[in-house]
Amino acid sequence: MADMTAAERLDRTLAIVPWVANQPDGTATISEISERFAIDADDLRDCLIITSMVGVHPYTPDLLINAIVDADTVTIDLPDYFRRPLRLTAEQTFALLTSAKALLSVPGADHSSALARGLEKVLRTLGEGSETAVDIGIDTAPDAITELLRSAIERRQAVEITYYSYGRDDTGTRRINPWAIHSEGGLWYLQGWCHASNAERVFRIDRIRQADITDAEFVAPNPLPSFELFDGSNALGRITLLLQPDARWVTEYYPAESIDLHPDGTATIVLAIGSMAWLERLLLRLGPDAAVVDATPELQGVGGAAARRLLSIYRD
Amino acid sequence: MIPTDKSAEKFERQMNLLAALSDTVQGVRAIDIQQRVPGYNADHDSFRRTFERDKKDLLSLGVPIEVVTGATAELTAYRVDKSKYELPDPGLESDELAALHLALETVTVGSSPGDMARAMWRLGGVVDAASSDSAGIPVGEITEIPSNASLVPLFRAVTERRVVSFTYESSAGTSKRSVEPWHLDFKRGRWNLTAFDLERSEQRNFRLDRVRSEVQLEDPGSQSHPIPSTPSEQADPWEFGDNEPVVMTVRFDAEVSDFARQSLSSCTVTEQSGGAASFQVPVANWPAFRSFVLSFLDHAEIIEPPEARAAMIEWLELIEGGDRG
Repeated sequence: MADMTAAERLDRTLAIVPWVANQPDGTATISEISERFAIDADDLRDCLIITSMVGVHPYTPDLLINAIVDADTVTIDLPDYFRRPLRLTAEQTFALLTSAKALLSVPGADHSSALARGLEKVLRTLGEGSETAVDIGIDTAPDAITELLRSAIERRQAVEITYYSYGRDDTGTRRINPWAIHSEGGLWYLQGWCHASNAERVFRIDRIRQADITDAEFVAPNPLPSFELFDGSNALGRITLLLQPDARWVTEYYPAESIDLHPDGTATIVLAIGSMAWLERLLLRLGPDAAVVDATPELQGVGGAAARRLLSIYRD
Repeated sequence: MIPTDKSAEKFERQMNLLAALSDTVQGVRAIDIQQRVPGYNADHDSFRRTFERDKKDLLSLGVPIEVVTGATAELTAYRVDKSKYELPDPGLESDELAALHLALETVTVGSSPGDMARAMWRLGGVVDAASSDSAGIPVGEITEIPSNASLVPLFRAVTERRVVSFTYESSAGTSKRSVEPWHLDFKRGRWNLTAFDLERSEQRNFRLDRVRSEVQLEDPGSQSHPIPSTPSEQADPWEFGDNEPVVMTVRFDAEVSDFARQSLSSCTVTEQSGGAASFQVPVANWPAFRSFVLSFLDHAEIIEPPEARAAMIEWLELIEGGDRG
């Protein structure tokens, strides 16, 4: 019994006991229980033998749990307690609803699937308000494009996409070998090989305006390279910012090469910059709450230049 | 072989304690627990320590132990209300059970995997993993949903209709808020709360990453305002504000107007020549909306009202002046 903590053993037993008692004749095989509840057969037998000694004062036989443990089977007959498993905790309920709803929010999800039916049944037991308590909106990508990419990945055929590059603030057409679809932080991404840049690239699916499957087949790397949105290794340059307290959230949002939190609430952060447009947006958004302390030559004066460009629109 | 080690003793004692607490309506007094439940020590202090630890262990599993306070600690009674303990039977078929299990393994929501395994035991254990296809789960897609310390307390508050309070940082500053939580949603990578704000006497939206304290829960059922039957649309960041909304007109170039349409789907839109479009957007939080417009760089321009144009120009001039390097 050494591997399990006391709490784990108690939790598992409180689930196993009513489950067995509710089987036909209150009987189940040791092997089925140990598989279903992921418990070693010897541990299970020990737990059930102890359970057969549990009851209430004055511990006459009619007040004890009646558990008969044989070599291969166990039979349980319960007094008026332990007849149902313990309710789920708020953490467990939340995780269950959130994960099921997340998968069902994916475009093309089958709403008559086992998952949808299971979720529906669990919701019914949770009482009023649970059904609408949580909403998960993971995807903003157009269904048709996601579907097309999925089938191209399966058929190992290249696609041609019209893509708005946020990083370069530019729309263009490119040919991609689509490898996999990932979700991170509520958005969906396509990982693949970009023919134009002759390198692995990641595309946000909601920025793909159009996609067509081509006849060109490809072989995907096996295993796939790990999915990285931006790792700093192909950075354009580095910038050091002094952030006022109102802009300190930047330290929590973006992967930084270094962060110094100062006692007065300000912070100094060093960022590897992967795209000029990304840096422009950050500096325009932070405004006077961020001062450029240092920057590699190619990144100097980026914020001021972007502000001047936008001002020329407003002053027209 | 019957195990005799310490953890087996503890297991048996806690099972007996839980049986005793479940088999009473009025509650069972501490003094009776000491005398009648096997495994407790006759020494008073030693009993107290063990009993408190056992109680804590049961509470951590989610056992709803109720306390009926007596004149002394010995006369204080404890009980477990079966209607609050027992999981109603959802009647899950084995394929449904397998699909839920797969969902918990595919999506991480910050809970530890061990905790999720326990949830599955309570629902009836894990049956042969179904193929993801028959379960209705897309293949090869792993999703991670960021977690936040306020999530579970606020979820409890929604399902148990509790009033809560917390410190919140908004564009207007940091203040203590007392609200009736109605709804949680996850949108564009962020968790948001829709709630009735008791001081402002109206519905408000909150971003969970701006909650700056623990969430204090009041009693179950303490909410007094009915949840609207048609929950409002999920809000955008510029709707999270304490100011009266001002309608602003923004023009987007053809190049980005599709993306603007995705973000501003509920706003009035006027199509313009060549694919450009202008949108009328109610704005309660200017800094959030300014950031949104600036994220389109040269492709978006605020047209109306003049005050908003002036505010944008002033902001851009600050940046221009501050970055002469």
